[in-house]
Amino acid sequence: MGLTGARLTALALALLLALGVAVAAGLALGSAGFDLELIAALRAPRVAAAVGVGALLALAGLAMQVLLRNPLADPYVLGTSGGASVGGLLALMAGASLWLGAGLGALAAGGLLLALTRGALASTDDASPRLVLTGVMLASLCGAVATLLLAITPDQQLRGAIFWLVGDLSGAQGGLGCGVAALAFAALLMVRDTAIDRLQLGSEVAALLGEPVRRLRLLLLVSASLAAGLAVASAGAIGFVGLVVPQALRLLGVQRIRDLAWMSAVGGATLLTLADLVARTVVAPLELPVGAVMALVGAPLFIVVLTRGTR
Amino acid sequence: MTDSMSVRTEATVTPLLETRGLSLHAAGRCLLQGLDWVVRPGERWCVIGRNAAGKSTLLRALAGLGVPARQGEVRWLGRAQADWPAADAAWARAYAPQQAVDRFPLSVQRLLDLSTVRPGALDASAVLADLDAQWLAQRGVMQLSGGERQRIALAQCVLQGAPLMLMDEPVSFQDPAHQARLARWLARLVAPGSEAALIVTAHDVNWIVRTATHVLALTGDGRWQAGPCAALIQAPLLQQVYGCGWRAVGGIWVAE
Repeated sequence: MGLTGARLTALALALLLALGVAVAAGLALGSAGFDLELIAALRAPRVAAAVGVGALLALAGLAMQVLLRNPLADPYVLGTSGGASVGGLLALMAGASLWLGAGLGALAAGGLLLALTRGALASTDDASPRLVLTGVMLASLCGAVATLLLAITPDQQLRGAIFWLVGDLSGAQGGLGCGVAALAFAALLMVRDTAIDRLQLGSEVAALLGEPVRRLRLLLLVSASLAAGLAVASAGAIGFVGLVVPQALRLLGVQRIRDLAWMSAVGGATLLTLADLVARTVVAPLELPVGAVMALVGAPLFIVVLTRGTR
Repeated sequence: MTDSMSVRTEATVTPLLETRGLSLHAAGRCLLQGLDWVVRPGERWCVIGRNAAGKSTLLRALAGLGVPARQGEVRWLGRAQADWPAADAAWARAYAPQQAVDRFPLSVQRLLDLSTVRPGALDASAVLADLDAQWLAQRGVMQLSGGERQRIALAQCVLQGAPLMLMDEPVSFQDPAHQARLARWLARLVAPGSEAALIVTAHDVNWIVRTATHVLALTGDGRWQAGPCAALIQAPLLQQVYGCGWRAVGGIWVAE
């Protein structure tokens, strides 16, 4: 196993080509047909948001998987995105910045998850069931709080429940900012390549090999949470991108964080762009929330990985 | 033979490991009381004791990993454990756990690359060949059998490049042929005159006699005895350690 040399290069080129095709299709296709004015005004910002948010979510998933040493980790499944939703809603109600609120909310949820599962992670025991259950309950709690906040808010300015619970790219903003943040995040992971690769072997193993484990994990926690927060602030709580993309790359034999990082970003951008294309064309002129489309793909895959992994 | 030559050698070579008054407790029980112990280059130590006597806890403490409760001092190469920056400590000691837990599908080759801290000291493919694992290099770590994974863990430990090597139960999953092979390999790896030292835990007394130069015996109530293998592995001590009778039949130790 393990992809090297020519095959890795071929996969890299295929991923870049797929992103190009997805972006072109996202810009050109739609219920209103090919209309340059419409493309520039509506589709371009939407595709940019899909690219940026998809890349951020895939990277957040990759970082959380290493941080929690669990291939099932994903900001949506484990409640980080839910924390961002709650934070964002609270910030909007208090008149503060949505971006700041979502970032802090994600950080709080990520920190809480890490604190709650700390004992299980430190031991060499299999922490997976406890970790996933804790995260799923955290996500469910955040969902309930978000629903409650929406119910007691009379303000019609707030975006609807679908946006905060499932995610929706219609009218999404900040695509460029998300894209830049994703580039920075990928670069950060690639710079700490060996250290993060060693962390995948376990925190004790990494410590024995001389890596600053606490600092690395803090770095992963903060960057993954901020990425999830940014993504939620831009497009709501879209799930499973962070699970599907790194998982698929690992199944294809990509092993190093150096490769996984940028390939996850490209793959996540491609996947979300295509999912959004499906969401707005499959029952056109009606639109599905892209989060629902992602869940239709991601949830079955999660179950497959879970049943295979615990065998 | 205690001539001046050997006395001087003992005094001038910095011990790879030294403990002073090391005490370990777990679950309200004293595992080890006041261990004063020195491990020098070229020595192969085996820690013996019955189940739950504290062998693995001791190895973890010696490696600098977390243990329930400890007092006393451990020194690597003459310098207190706590004074080693993490990155430097990786040059001093390596540790192979009883059972490695893999979560991500890495290849064995990649795992060994990541485990190497001081490159060039040993050749990975030669170590794999010594361990009868040369064809595993391109396999995924999650596809290995228990015995294969254990041999890869030993390769990781050795390839790290540290002179002090700690291995917790290195042969627990090995068939008899591989147990014998590992005994010969460890003896070659840390031969007299070598700069390295080895500390393992094991249960098979005959394997220990074949592999170790020295033995540290834990009786489980805090008491301990340390010394050359031939002097310690005798019926009275084995009886005290394991709580059953022992006799040597044709050079083979048999528990009664």
